[in-house]
Amino acid sequence: MNILVCFIAAPDLDKLIEEDWVIDKDLQIDTSFLKPTLNSYDESAIEIALRLSDASQKTKVSINHKALTIASTPATTILKTLNALRFKQVVRIDSQDDFRFRPGAIAYILSQYVLKHATQDVLFLGRQSTVGENAKTHLLVAERLGWPCITQVSGIEVIDENHLVVTSQVDDGQIRQKIQTPCVLCIGEVPNTFMRVPTIKDRMLYGKRPIEILSTTDFQLPDETEELLDLKVISHERHGIFIEGETPEQKARELYKMYLKERLEKI
Amino acid sequence: MIYKGILNGCSTDIATQAGELNNFISDNLHSEDTVGSTILFYSEKEQRDALIRLVPTESVKLVRITRYQPENILKALTTMEQGEMTHLYLFPSGFAGSEMAVRLAFRMKGSSLVQVKQIEYSGVQLIASKTVYANHVLGTFKLTKKPYCVSLAKGSANDQAINTRDKLIVTEYDMTHLHENQFIKASKAIPRKQASNLTNTRFLLIGGNGMKNKADTQYLKQIADTIGADFGVSRPVAMSGWTSLHRQVGVSGSMTKAAVCIVAGASGAAAFYAGIEKSKFIVAINTDSRAPINKTSDVAIIDDYKAVLDELVKVMREDRPI
Repeated sequence: MNILVCFIAAPDLDKLIEEDWVIDKDLQIDTSFLKPTLNSYDESAIEIALRLSDASQKTKVSINHKALTIASTPATTILKTLNALRFKQVVRIDSQDDFRFRPGAIAYILSQYVLKHATQDVLFLGRQSTVGENAKTHLLVAERLGWPCITQVSGIEVIDENHLVVTSQVDDGQIRQKIQTPCVLCIGEVPNTFMRVPTIKDRMLYGKRPIEILSTTDFQLPDETEELLDLKVISHERHGIFIEGETPEQKARELYKMYLKERLEKI
Repeated sequence: MIYKGILNGCSTDIATQAGELNNFISDNLHSEDTVGSTILFYSEKEQRDALIRLVPTESVKLVRITRYQPENILKALTTMEQGEMTHLYLFPSGFAGSEMAVRLAFRMKGSSLVQVKQIEYSGVQLIASKTVYANHVLGTFKLTKKPYCVSLAKGSANDQAINTRDKLIVTEYDMTHLHENQFIKASKAIPRKQASNLTNTRFLLIGGNGMKNKADTQYLKQIADTIGADFGVSRPVAMSGWTSLHRQVGVSGSMTKAAVCIVAGASGAAAFYAGIEKSKFIVAINTDSRAPINKTSDVAIIDDYKAVLDELVKVMREDRPI
């Protein structure tokens, strides 16, 4: 079974301090000093693909897993890690373009990659990126390919070469479905799927395998139907009064007496 | 402008969906030249009348289906809406709403945006805003192609009552003949065992990354039970599997609006804060004086959260038996 995991390397925004949130005239926020990381949805997608591969001896279904990103050079560190984790192939579609709010273009590239460069049975995508928060790419890829899509996936089992059992969250619970490939699976909240760390031996043996590099210029991009007009930093500030005291006990008593007692009586 | 709200009456969260639409319509779509209606999908005949009472517009199209299945809903919508002059389709904030907004726009050659907070229509384009950069920034976007399909931002429902009126039912459609998509070979719905009770809680205690293991989570849950608070966690705690996902607070979990919210051991990442920002009073307890949560809370204590909470239990017991 051919599985393509599509991911995005993005800055860890929680590392920015208040003063860093400056929007320039081109509607950019400088995050160049932050190391690119994977968001938790993409981490889960990668780990789930690796676990399916681990289980292939038991399921008797060979898993050919490939990882792909659209990124500029700094993502290389993550791609080397994926090599070390023994993904069969790692692909970077090189781009210096601003894709933060262009899910339509990303979906177009991914679907063209599948149609023209490498036939796949299943695509894994994380729910949304931390920067754009578009939450559209997986759906648009599915629409462009004419494939079905299951969103908020929380569990996947391989049944045979052409069938999976997929558990996903829906608005009032979960649904477990036996499905036929091909399909797009959008990975949602999946506890305990932190991406594994490769061994030093695997880093040495596999980390430096070549990465397939394509360019976004290989793809003729469609016009976007949504356009960014403005960005404004949101202020969430409140009073932020520090409760002082010699000991935690003193502070707790002050908190209750001055701030909580009356409020809790009204609840 | 002509708009249509789309409701999924097959889901048990239908009242929340209707509340969100009602609130969004009253805030954004009140000009005189705006005409709105609702398309309501449902499957259980006996629920029909109760569902109609939730509809936030005067006219409604009722569409009966066998069960909610995205492909079938899309097929039904594109068939029913072909040739209609609808400018805007509004979907609730849930998983289904965002999926439908994007896919319907693609199939109808329109434009879409999900998790939208506000809209403004100029006659030729729709301007919509939503949070980006993990809830740190508000982005304003122009949608250029009609129909505009948007899903609403999570937590936009409020307690505003829906005007009950004699609904004018425009049309009833029976789409129970639509077959399951063939890629599904078998399916089983697993209803949520424990309904999320955090959205409407009045008193909330939340544990963050300062909880280092399952025992810490259990300790904090016990404190919450003792002081009469509901218990929530930040995303990293939920992803560690130390408690069930329904306790997660933030953009990926519950959006709460407690009268009093105590946050223990959390730094206050913006995506988490979105889940508590509507709280009336926020208390932060953590050991990092530079943590963002200190500035975004009403009061903050810099200290070990366990020592503070243990004493809080004592003082509350002294003051009133708990």
